[in-house]
Amino acid sequence: MRKSYVKNNIKVNEFEALIKITVEMSKYLYPFIREILKSKEDIKENSIIWNDFNKRFIELIKERFNVDSIRVKKLLNQTENGEIIIKSLLILSFCISNQGCQKLKNFLYDF
Amino acid sequence: MQNKLSFHQSSVSLEIIGLPDYSNNENKDQISIISQWKLTIVDKPLIEGKIEHLGPIMDAFYIYSNLLIKNEIPIYESKLIDIKADNLHIHNIVLKSSKANVKPLVLKIGNSLLSDAINCFDQLNESPKVRIKKTDIPTQIPKKLKFGLNNKVKFFNFLIPPFFAICSLILFSSSFIYFYSPFENIEKKELTNPE
Repeated sequence: MRKSYVKNNIKVNEFEALIKITVEMSKYLYPFIREILKSKEDIKENSIIWNDFNKRFIELIKERFNVDSIRVKKLLNQTENGEIIIKSLLILSFCISNQGCQKLKNFLYDF
Repeated sequence: MQNKLSFHQSSVSLEIIGLPDYSNNENKDQISIISQWKLTIVDKPLIEGKIEHLGPIMDAFYIYSNLLIKNEIPIYESKLIDIKADNLHIHNIVLKSSKANVKPLVLKIGNSLLSDAINCFDQLNESPKVRIKKTDIPTQIPKKLKFGLNNKVKFFNFLIPPFFAICSLILFSSSFIYFYSPFENIEKKELTNPE
């Protein structure tokens, strides 16, 4: 999915490190994640937050991902990407505890 | 005098009231015998109950959150609590009273409040000051098994392509037996060169 032609398998240490970074970042960004989730609950009142987030998300996807891939195209489609974004945000918001790393791993294995 | 511990996460707070188990030489701050608990959600009615209700309610929230993420139909039903999804953003919680003639309490919460509640329960589970009987959430057990299965699937995925490649080579080359007959060619050569 990335804009890279080199396919390297991730090592266990790198995977663990990425999990730790993700959990620590989610702890730090929890208030923002919560606000984005809340904005989607009542889209009429808080549409600005969701629209800004979605716009930036799409910009980053276009910048770093292979836009020709069908899976990436789904992420770019604003009518289809809502569910995957909400679920990803929920996973991050559920994993801010001290055992968040283990929880995130469990969610990723099942996702 | 009872001990009181509170766990907060944004719009949700969980209060645990109870006593230490002095027979186990526990500290004064510890809570092992929970007498009461209160779950406060901003703009929603107060939820409180006995200790035997806390475990099932926590389990319900954990199981429901897992179902929500796993793309399965997010419905949890039990004698004490029902949780259903109105849509991906709003969740319906029905708390049934154990007392007769008491109407069930219906709450609608969004994803933000759901994640706050889950994080409050996580704080309670991880707190060294509160000892609660942790019930095994059934959805957590098969995860290791699933991971094992995933590994097996990956192993098979690794073997299947070369296996099919070899099989197709055998099938493809075996079809040439019908097109090429070495004995017929030898006979023809003998006919053309009678010497």
